[in-house]
Amino acid sequence: MDSSVLFSLRLSLQVAFAATVLIIVIGLPIAYLLARKNFPGKELLDISLTLPLVLPPTVTGYYLIIAFGRNGFIGKYLYEWLDWSIMFTWYAAVLASFVVALPLMIKTGRAALESVDSNLINAAYTLGHSEWETALKVTLPLAKRGLLAGIVLSFARALGEFGATLMLAGNIPGKTDTMPLAIYSLSASGDQEQAAGMVVLLTLVATLFLYLANRYSRRIF
Amino acid sequence: MKKMLLMFSMLCVILFCAYPSGASSAEVTVSAAISLKNAFEEIGKLYEAKYAKTKVLFSFGASGDLVRQIAGGAPVDVFASAAQKDMDDMSSKGMVLPGTRADFAKNSVVLVAPKNGKIKSFEDLATEGIKRIAAGNPKTVPAGRYAAEVFDYYKLTPAIKDKLIYAENVRQVLDYVARGEVDAGVVYATDAAVRSTEVSVAADAPESSHKPVVYPIAVVKGTKNEAAAKAFIDAVLSKEGIAILKKYGFLIP
Amino acid sequence: MGLSVCVNKQLKGFSLNVSWAIGDELAVLFGFSGSGKSLTLQLIAGLMKPDSGVIKANGTIYFDGERHVNATPQQRSLGYVFQDLALFPHMTVRQNILFGAKGVPENERSERYRELTETFYVAAFENKRPSEISGGQKQRVAFARALMRRPDVLLLDEPFSALDTPLRIEMRAFLKDLRKTFQVPVVLVTHDAGEAASLADSIIVYSEGSVIQSGLMTEVFNNPVDERVKRLLAGQEDTLRPFCKRH
Repeated sequence: MDSSVLFSLRLSLQVAFAATVLIIVIGLPIAYLLARKNFPGKELLDISLTLPLVLPPTVTGYYLIIAFGRNGFIGKYLYEWLDWSIMFTWYAAVLASFVVALPLMIKTGRAALESVDSNLINAAYTLGHSEWETALKVTLPLAKRGLLAGIVLSFARALGEFGATLMLAGNIPGKTDTMPLAIYSLSASGDQEQAAGMVVLLTLVATLFLYLANRYSRRIF
Repeated sequence: MKKMLLMFSMLCVILFCAYPSGASSAEVTVSAAISLKNAFEEIGKLYEAKYAKTKVLFSFGASGDLVRQIAGGAPVDVFASAAQKDMDDMSSKGMVLPGTRADFAKNSVVLVAPKNGKIKSFEDLATEGIKRIAAGNPKTVPAGRYAAEVFDYYKLTPAIKDKLIYAENVRQVLDYVARGEVDAGVVYATDAAVRSTEVSVAADAPESSHKPVVYPIAVVKGTKNEAAAKAFIDAVLSKEGIAILKKYGFLIP
Repeated sequence: MGLSVCVNKQLKGFSLNVSWAIGDELAVLFGFSGSGKSLTLQLIAGLMKPDSGVIKANGTIYFDGERHVNATPQQRSLGYVFQDLALFPHMTVRQNILFGAKGVPENERSERYRELTETFYVAAFENKRPSEISGGQKQRVAFARALMRRPDVLLLDEPFSALDTPLRIEMRAFLKDLRKTFQVPVVLVTHDAGEAASLADSIIVYSEGSVIQSGLMTEVFNNPVDERVKRLLAGQEDTLRPFCKRH
């Protein structure tokens, strides 16, 4: 197998894993807040976080460039202070995948957490457990199934992300060409055979991952 | 529930009726290299004024991408590319209507930088301060091929290999430079002119550093609008067409 | 030893205004569903916040509207058995009961656990999940869990309503024994007159958000203050106004 193919595969998995970790770390607390707390602006927060789900990835990519490009309202400070821009790096691919897949975690996670019986949570409180302890020992374990589904969906979406990634990370062979981008390049330049090979490879990897995720989720319940 | 269904179907009906019913006028579809965008759009208006019943539909992109689309069956009537190579590809696939091919414009290759860029010459590309250089993807973008030739000419290729950011067409290269995402880029002189307030030309590539940039145009074989297609080419080659091309900085062969 | 409750709470279309106090006894909050009994328990437990009033247990103030005191549910020394028992399905019986031992010193924990599981006969299935044990067994687990911390008051929200009659009678005996073994005031919410009659030391009669009569069970039963109470005890109903005394 071509070393560039292996690189793209490794890069895709790396980007998807990194994005998924970020999604869990950031998305889970947000899903919890939305599920179990009331605060002003709650629905507005939910809507704005869900936007990337309905916007075309290129639109999301456009917004990300406005924010993180070298002259973007966040990017320009990064460049000024650290002499570094996220554009055209694999971190940009992670950012694009993160933003685009986060809504899946939040929507699924929120639903799973909301479905936990309030009585159980109240019982835990009356038994002396703080909200934090209850969340860890009761709410999260009972929402496990839905949360895992959210994680799997997010990973899958991150693995397949293309539009926003292309805009932010560019398609730099050996640096940012994830599988979807590499397939696009090969297909666009007429290299149908290599493209087809990568397509099959990516499909196999995705299938393998989903199979493992399903098996694991069945076992812990 | 029923009420919603009724309203929805009424909405659909209204939308379908409001949709302009297909072309009562003839249409001609032109696929052209994206560096021709501004000039061709103006020529298009010229053409529509003269031939009131025909509408011009443009498809701009990297010449290589356009060839692939036409080869894949896209219903294109006229094709204009930024290099002889792409038209030669079309020709070898038998997709050019014999006798309609003509060279109509020339361009030059330049090195551009963001408005306050620090670069002064092609050689500067190898220096430490230049971290990112944008150029078209040589596989599909003629400007990318020319850029590669210029880099070879200045023997820069190994030094700048890791700094290259490939874009999907020459206007995207221009955009990266204009937005400051990269430190320098290689585009046509005509592109630099279009965004002259945002980019500055750092250097001109000498003619000997790359294949001559000569734009050919031709009618696509299998077109259903042969007369209209030929008329468009006539418009491009006409006195007014040439004036428009010159206005945007193209040279005439 | 005792609990005094005076709370006012306005919800959409329902107004709760009650005031009563009990000592070391089994008091029954009695009345039809929707009359505010369960709501009162939730306010006592701190799961909801009264608009005004005072709640005191064993001398400790849990809530005082005027002085802005509002202890969290975690801070209140209460045992609460919910209507559907609220046993954690993902934990074993043992884990469920030990979950109620928060704040109990390590050395006492296993001692209390042993005591409770033996008294309630639940030790035999301590490693089973709630879904694997019977209704009556679940009941006893819920009680054991609520008593681990030796609460000042035990709040029971219609805990036996889902049981069939033989089991319900069994649980009534169980509750009476429990009162003998653990001297803890119990507030039992029920709409079953027979249950009230069989268990209550004193009875607090609720109707549409207010207390219409309260006192020792025998007194109230023999001297219903008006037709409504009589009919309630027999099984029908009516309405009223309230007030709040500070105890």
